[in-house]
Amino acid sequence: MHSLSRRHFLASMSQGLSGIALGSLLHRDALASASAWAPPTGIPHFPAKAKSVIWLFMNGGVSHLESFDPKPMVTKYAGKNISETPFADVQKNVTKRSSVMAGFQRNLLYPLQVGFQKYGRSGIEVSDWFPHIGANIDKISVVRSMFTTDSNHEAQAMFHTGRNLLDGEFPSVGAWVHYGLGSLNENLPQYISIGKREYLDKKDSLYLGPAHNSVPLRIDPNNPIDFGRPERPVSAETQKLHFDLVRSLNQHAEAAYPRDPATAARVASYELAYRMQMSVPEIVNFSKESEHTKQLYGLHLPHCRDFGMQLLAARRFVEKGVRFIQIQHGGGGGGAWDAHSNLKSNHESNARAVDQPIGALLTDLDQRGLLEDTLVVFATEFGRTPGSEGKAGRDHHPFGFSIWMAGGGVKGGYVHGATDELGFHAVENRHFVTDVHATLLTLLGLDSRKLELPDRKRLAVDHGTPIRDIIA
Amino acid sequence: MKFALLASSSFAALCAALPLHGAVDYEHSVKPLLRERCYACHGALKQKGGLRLDTAEAMRKGGDSGPALLPKEAAKSPLIERLLSKDPDEQMPPKHEGEPFSESQIRLLQDWIAQGAPAPANERPEADPREHWAFQPRTRPAIPPLSARAARWARNPIDAFVAQAHEKAGLTPQPEAPSAVLLRRLFLDLLGVPPSAEELAAVAQAPDSSWVEPTVDRLLNDPRYGERWGRHWMDIWRYSDAWILQGFTVARDSQKHLWHWRDWIIESLNADLPYDEMIRQMVAADELYPDDLSKLRATGFLARNFNIFNRLVWMDSTVEHLAKGFLGLTFNCAKCHDHKYDPIRQEDYYRMRSFFEPYHVRLDVAPGQADLDEDGIPRVFDAEPNAPTYLFPRGDETRPDKSRVIPPGVPEVLAFDSLPVQPVSLPKTETDPARRPWVLEAHVQTSRQRLRSAEEALAKVDQKLEASSQTNRPAQSDSSPNLPPATPSAEELAILERDAAEKALHLAQAEFQSTQSKAEAMRAAWEGVPEKVSSTAKAAAQSERDAAVARAKHKIADLVWNLAKTAPDKRKPTEGKLSAARTELAKAAKAAGESSEKFEPLRGAKWSATQFGKVYQEDRFPGFPSTSTGRRLALARWLTDSRNPLPARVAVNHIWLRHMGKPLVNTVFDFGRKGAAPTHPELLDWLASELVEGAPKGAPWAMKHLHRLIVTSATYRMTSSMAGAETSEKIDPDNRLLWRRHSIRMEAEAVRDCMLSVAGTLEPRIGGPSVPAQGREQSTRRSLYFTQNWVDRSLFLATFDGPDSTVCYRRDQSIVPQQALALSNAAMVQDAARTIVSRLTKEAPAELADPAFLERAFLSVLNRLPDDVERRLCLDSLQAFRALPKPAPAPASPDVARVQIVAALLNHADFVTIR
Repeated sequence: MHSLSRRHFLASMSQGLSGIALGSLLHRDALASASAWAPPTGIPHFPAKAKSVIWLFMNGGVSHLESFDPKPMVTKYAGKNISETPFADVQKNVTKRSSVMAGFQRNLLYPLQVGFQKYGRSGIEVSDWFPHIGANIDKISVVRSMFTTDSNHEAQAMFHTGRNLLDGEFPSVGAWVHYGLGSLNENLPQYISIGKREYLDKKDSLYLGPAHNSVPLRIDPNNPIDFGRPERPVSAETQKLHFDLVRSLNQHAEAAYPRDPATAARVASYELAYRMQMSVPEIVNFSKESEHTKQLYGLHLPHCRDFGMQLLAARRFVEKGVRFIQIQHGGGGGGAWDAHSNLKSNHESNARAVDQPIGALLTDLDQRGLLEDTLVVFATEFGRTPGSEGKAGRDHHPFGFSIWMAGGGVKGGYVHGATDELGFHAVENRHFVTDVHATLLTLLGLDSRKLELPDRKRLAVDHGTPIRDIIA
Repeated sequence: MKFALLASSSFAALCAALPLHGAVDYEHSVKPLLRERCYACHGALKQKGGLRLDTAEAMRKGGDSGPALLPKEAAKSPLIERLLSKDPDEQMPPKHEGEPFSESQIRLLQDWIAQGAPAPANERPEADPREHWAFQPRTRPAIPPLSARAARWARNPIDAFVAQAHEKAGLTPQPEAPSAVLLRRLFLDLLGVPPSAEELAAVAQAPDSSWVEPTVDRLLNDPRYGERWGRHWMDIWRYSDAWILQGFTVARDSQKHLWHWRDWIIESLNADLPYDEMIRQMVAADELYPDDLSKLRATGFLARNFNIFNRLVWMDSTVEHLAKGFLGLTFNCAKCHDHKYDPIRQEDYYRMRSFFEPYHVRLDVAPGQADLDEDGIPRVFDAEPNAPTYLFPRGDETRPDKSRVIPPGVPEVLAFDSLPVQPVSLPKTETDPARRPWVLEAHVQTSRQRLRSAEEALAKVDQKLEASSQTNRPAQSDSSPNLPPATPSAEELAILERDAAEKALHLAQAEFQSTQSKAEAMRAAWEGVPEKVSSTAKAAAQSERDAAVARAKHKIADLVWNLAKTAPDKRKPTEGKLSAARTELAKAAKAAGESSEKFEPLRGAKWSATQFGKVYQEDRFPGFPSTSTGRRLALARWLTDSRNPLPARVAVNHIWLRHMGKPLVNTVFDFGRKGAAPTHPELLDWLASELVEGAPKGAPWAMKHLHRLIVTSATYRMTSSMAGAETSEKIDPDNRLLWRRHSIRMEAEAVRDCMLSVAGTLEPRIGGPSVPAQGREQSTRRSLYFTQNWVDRSLFLATFDGPDSTVCYRRDQSIVPQQALALSNAAMVQDAARTIVSRLTKEAPAELADPAFLERAFLSVLNRLPDDVERRLCLDSLQAFRALPKPAPAPASPDVARVQIVAALLNHADFVTIR
């Protein structure tokens, strides 16, 4: 059995997209034969609790202080300089590495702009801007002790790749998942990206090869994916004939170039392409969803219709076995949540756009029995300063902020980690962004160290450490 | 065989993870583990504590503190004790030198020692790193003698080396590719576009393959060669257009107008500028040829690394990629500690950085355009000759070791001479670039151009006024109205618009005047005629102040007009600006009344300001010093010294990769000990010698000589088909020994360029500013001219593994469904198919019957005729397409069914593959 057959063997084991990316594996073979390295088989390294991930990312930086980490002291000492409060110490530890990585200093405390209520049996406090998420709090583990090391919006890239953009470009966590697990459904792309990105490159997989890129998706049944339908008018029958003819011609190319693995891969890639083109539009067509479901996601409400459709599509993709659905909310510029001024109106309207759909997603997944093996992640690139920026804003704050996860094997109604009294530093069970990746990969049954490529050594910090405490 | 070997080693890896009581395999499990984790400090490269772990014998013998292992006594063996220790002074690997061993790895070693630490009797230690093949001086190996069989096959010395390997392994080379395939291969390889039907016809009639050599000469002299191979070198040298964040005007990464460097690459390749000279110009043209703007373009290579916020990133990528691109060495691995595999000390990393420490980037005014936002030559210069380089212990830049300034230098293993660094004194035109003969004129030209535009703009407004019902042309006035009425009439609006346009003209006039006066004053100062100096300076100063007044007035007029167009309740912010503009005008008017000789001179260059200190705040301008340190020149001379063994080998490997589909050294940017060994070491050195020494009577370092040698060899000409080669396939399934040609999935640019070329719409124009992102869809220029930086790249090209502008030493050749969708559905492909059908129909002498159409379609898209099966398939499909219900309204021409056939051919494996 020579190495070509070995590749076919691996391909048939993992199937689907990762099986077809033969070409990109070809020149790594020399490395493969030099050591015991082999591409992933698509089989988890250990028993998985989750099969799919819905990754909700709020661009711009959600204020942790006005969402999931209430800090009454910020209101109590509002208007005071941090140095005049009993918590003056928090500013001692502010690290300064280089200009772009430094945090912004805002010293005059700015009172909380929203009230909090206790929700659920767990009684976890959630701000009044997120009542629907609050109603689902018993499905959620909140991590209040995140930190990041980039204080500008490049932190969006850092949250997805684990690395500062200044270090270069690295594969995103979704690409790693796709690389490690491959496909559950041969008719669909396995890694879908919805929403606008600014700082995070549109290519996710980079050195893992284009087979593991996200497929950008629009909620438009007529044109959901790039090149997903003819850009010039061509009928469905014509398309069918086109793909038939291309397949016949390429299969015949074997006559002159027998046993050419590239030709075989090409034939297979056209088949998947054709199936993808047929099945994706069907999933973003909601005509078969009940009125009740549509209203649950808020499709009848102008303020949350767009995001609601994205999340409803996400649920439909999860049902079909898509691995990773990455949704960015509020793209363009620094991101919609970037409330340097008018934080109150900014966050209020952004929360209105996302809260009901997110609550609906959790409820809907739960009712359909999908939440058990679907991990939902709610994240943002950094928090916002306890001090005010201008009259009514908050600046970027990398030293302490919150994210949460639900379903897919994480505890419900649970809080992990804490920031100090001002919400300045993460002080208890601190977690860097790659710890979120490690948690997610662990739940999916993957060991990131086993996925590493021999010619692309990763650092220990790239792998992160799973947040074991929130795993049920 | 290979599979068995792989299986056994992964079996070993699997066993290593389990409790294991069987016999431990030293060669396949213990040794690889120690090699990976320990040899860097306890092997040939270093012997910390006098200890080596690269043989079992050495372990038993031990180091300064006695034996490392006691056979059968795992628990007492220091090797195990150190791995288990929690004491920071004892534990291995030491803190910061790698993660601790896992339990299963330790158990593996324990079991092995418990079993008596068995090892092969004749086990040999690691070789001395300095003896590594890539560090040895380049030699010119003798051409191997040819057997009778090989003599019939071989065409030049390349084939002798390849045939020798064939015969050793019992391989038979595949026959030469059919002439049509070979011609297509040569065109795609050398020009990146396919041959025409006429060219194919000429070759088809040739009695033998004597057409190859003259064709190769012709292609190498075709300017499209520079475009095709320029793109290859742009990959290796990391070409990137500027990255400018939306809403900003400054480049954060790379430089504006970097296309000048791209054009220099194309021109240099077409002129066959020797490779060593290309390196010298890219690294040090400013020290070698100050003032020669054409050559200074080459330093775009370094200007590309500009990073507005962070010097560390800038210097790191400069060192990393200079070393990877020219030397095939991973210097970047020595940033935080000594290199784990190669004899490169941590200090060597900083010595390399020291060559670049002084350099910064500036834009120089090019003839005819003084506005550096519009054009300018990005180039480097030594701005801070005394900037110290410090070593960062453990790579931590926040704690530099300031006890010692690191001088420029190269690793000892590659030092063949002392490295003289001689400061270079620069001509006056470098420190005061406005003195370049074209600069003042460029300012006058630019300013005159703006004056014309302002005149035209005003004329347009006037035309509009005249065309409307208003007959009363507003009277000329010097000042604009204070505030517009709350609800201005159309007439009032028109008057305000005209006022703004008129003030813009006044401003352009004043600026033109000011530019002329300044040019005159500057010339006078240079010529040094005392009586003229003062009077012209006064005039220049006055005109500058007058222009400031005109600018303020224009601003006011513009704001007033804007206000008029704004609803009254939204006027507040603009009103604020207006009052500020009035204050500005008062100030300008006051200044204009005072006499002075001071004015801002016209500039010939602009420093690309950094913002290292504070984001959004420019650092202090370092000035344009009158001497350059000469450091980069010394580096360039060392790189291109014929005794330096690496640059020629690395370049030859890159060239071979792109002609042949696979390199001779698989790790194209790592020729170090961690890299792959060459498949044909002698051939590599022979080719490197040919590059350095050149053809007999030819110039040294000529790349075209090397291209010619490679593409005329029998090795290159073989078919890529495996038909009839079952035996060779069994012996060498991966074709490492080149018994056939590797087929190549065309690069992204070639896929698009070929399509446009077949359609006849590809623009032949060479060079110029990059095609902006918004214009990409409509553009018919070659793909290498598309703007690309790390954020912005064409979706179509990215789908076909288009280059990553941060690092791209080698293209991937993936085959994924997204490519199938792009080729089936992109408007560009469907339009090309339509154009191709029209073209074929138009070119045909008479009406084309289907079979004749098919032949022409195959010839132009796939450069070959269809065989019987393909003919039948396509004719049947034509019928099937025609039987479908007609779309309404049915386009008259071209024939929709034929368009579909051509579209299918564009999706054919043979189209996107260089066979």
